[in-house]
Amino acid sequence: MWWLKEVWVIDPSQNLSAPRDVLVKGGQVLEMSSALTEEEVLELAQGEQVETIDGRGKFIFPGLIDVHTHLREPGQEEKEDILSGSRAAVRGGFTTILAMANTQPVIDNRALVEFVRLQGERAGYAHVLPIGTVTKGMQGGELAEMVDMKAGGAAAFSDDGKNIQNAEVMRLALEYAKLTGLPIISHCEDKDLAGEGQMRRGMASARMGLKGIPASAESVIVARDLLLAEETGGKLHLAHISTTESVDLIRQAKARGVNVSAEVNPHHLIFCEEELSITDTALKVNPPLGSRRDRESLIEGLRDGTLDMIATDHAPHTQSEKARPFAEAPFGIASLETALSAVWQYLVLSGRLSLDRVIEAWSVSPAKRFGLPGGSLKPGAPADMVLFDPDYSEVIDSAQLVSKARNTPFLGKTLQGFPVMVWVEGRLVQRNRSVI
Amino acid sequence: MKWQRKDVLAIEDMSVEEIRHILHTAKVMKEILMRPIKKLPTLKGKSVVNLFYEASTRTRTSFEMAGKVLGADTTSIAVAQSSVSKGESLFDTAKTIQAMRADLVIIRHSSSGSAQFLADILAAGVINAGDGQHAHPTQALLDIYTMEEQLGDLEGKKVVIVGDVLHSRVARSNAWCLQKMGVDVTFVGPPTLVPVEMEGLGVKLTHDLDGALPGADVVMALRLQLERQKSGLFPSLREYSHLYGLTTERLKKTGKQSIVLHPGPMNRNVEISDDVADSAQALIERQVTNGVAIRMALIYLLIGGSSNVVA
Repeated sequence: MWWLKEVWVIDPSQNLSAPRDVLVKGGQVLEMSSALTEEEVLELAQGEQVETIDGRGKFIFPGLIDVHTHLREPGQEEKEDILSGSRAAVRGGFTTILAMANTQPVIDNRALVEFVRLQGERAGYAHVLPIGTVTKGMQGGELAEMVDMKAGGAAAFSDDGKNIQNAEVMRLALEYAKLTGLPIISHCEDKDLAGEGQMRRGMASARMGLKGIPASAESVIVARDLLLAEETGGKLHLAHISTTESVDLIRQAKARGVNVSAEVNPHHLIFCEEELSITDTALKVNPPLGSRRDRESLIEGLRDGTLDMIATDHAPHTQSEKARPFAEAPFGIASLETALSAVWQYLVLSGRLSLDRVIEAWSVSPAKRFGLPGGSLKPGAPADMVLFDPDYSEVIDSAQLVSKARNTPFLGKTLQGFPVMVWVEGRLVQRNRSVI
Repeated sequence: MKWQRKDVLAIEDMSVEEIRHILHTAKVMKEILMRPIKKLPTLKGKSVVNLFYEASTRTRTSFEMAGKVLGADTTSIAVAQSSVSKGESLFDTAKTIQAMRADLVIIRHSSSGSAQFLADILAAGVINAGDGQHAHPTQALLDIYTMEEQLGDLEGKKVVIVGDVLHSRVARSNAWCLQKMGVDVTFVGPPTLVPVEMEGLGVKLTHDLDGALPGADVVMALRLQLERQKSGLFPSLREYSHLYGLTTERLKKTGKQSIVLHPGPMNRNVEISDDVADSAQALIERQVTNGVAIRMALIYLLIGGSSNVVA
């Protein structure tokens, strides 16, 4: 049994932000009280050994749930695999991660869904839930067997990376997925508008002579998918929103009652296009970094709930792939191990976001929207939880990262505020920044 | 001034003093180039590698001649096409060249930023001979050298650059270089090829060539990549030429004896008519000669060490 004494609990699922004593037993949160005496604790332990943690100066919150990670297994294990990715997750404070379907082969049938789920169980760190494809082979044509994939453990459906360009296919997918109750995740990218673009189209791309991706490449599809969700009543989730126009469209759609949720990536909340340099492939990401105005809109959207959740879009790549001229390097940032700390340092410490809102958006909302366990520390809930030390600072060092990937813009930089203990179903999986 | 740079990658971060120093050095180099016996021992024992990932006859030959006149050993590596999937990565090629102990590498590559990428890896100097749509500093320098040779001080002069500005590293490098020299620069072309974000370079933008010409001291036509038509950027060569082609008639609108430049190779009767291309106003061949002088100057400045051919 664990006894966390005088720790500051952040649990938006019960509107709680206060110091408490937290007891964890049998994989669940047992009790949360203002002050427990040793006698009370020993009685509740019923003979079980009690490990006591001094929680003063630290936060405890429900483990983060990331609805958008790329774990690359099967097929691209040189970038990441489910074991390394789920270890990186718990090091970064994530207790549940959704694995995107764009592996090789793509996850478009139940056998593959079960493979991913079982690899996650074998790894035994964060809960790994597969996302299945919407269409067979991610080809954007025939629908994949969504009902069967759900039976195999799929948590959502997405042709991520390959936007469904055919609006009729998207409409049918939103209709058919009603049988599963799971969301269709849209990648929100018009392939023709995005073209061979390398960064957001604007003055910075014009200056550097890099092909630009216009903001409309995203917002055109956001508008289309919102209209389709409205017409069908289907359940839509919009991935990695990065533009002002998209935020406005989602806000209006929500006001009309459209069944939609949306996520934003930490890097879009922290960086913008003008910070890009022509050789800095660590910040090459898709959707590309936007303008300052976009960044402000995203923060505002996250504050007012237009954007429901934060998701990393953890996209690991090998060092040799990123050690290329900008246009030849792949898109993506590996972020599971740094995302929470970066959000804490850049957005919470600066007063732009409250920690409560961050936890709501990164744990409570994903659990609700995707129907996942976790997202709460109510007694009886699974003890997926994070002890966060706001003062702990660390240099992001290649030797310490447990992900296979090093493609983070924070490499060599110091971040402050890290998870120092992480439990998955009451089992300690990370202590003092080391994965157990 | 004392030359400090290991590499010449872009004009954007260069000081006016550095640009002046290059132009001054090039003047001496041009005199050497004009001699009947043009061979110096200055760079004897130095090796210059031309690493060209894009087809280019004139630029590569220009660099080769520049190196040879100065006495360096020049080697050309022509790589058919930069490819992510096949062949050696630029990173590994850089390591290989490093191991061969080259003193200077001239790179042309289809990716913007590739010259900087190479320079960050190599201890040897790097000259950017064109990287994607980003920069082509030696072209800008030879253009400005040619303008000054003809017009004298460029402060307050007006230069009109017309054509496919969006995809042009020549236009970008010229914009930086000319503005540093106090020149008024206007980009002209259809909105698809001169989009509004080009304002970020600090230049004026217009889609009306006839309106931009009055007062222009220099009109520079850019090469139109004919395949852009297939991408829908303009409807036909006919309409493009009608709107933006340089003709004798149109050039009269400048109201002065303007000079005409073109980075070559030309699409005759598309962006420039035969009579303009072959007129006395067009200094296109002079640009080529001056290109060798500029490249001699840069090679000399980067690896000439303490020898004082310029003194």
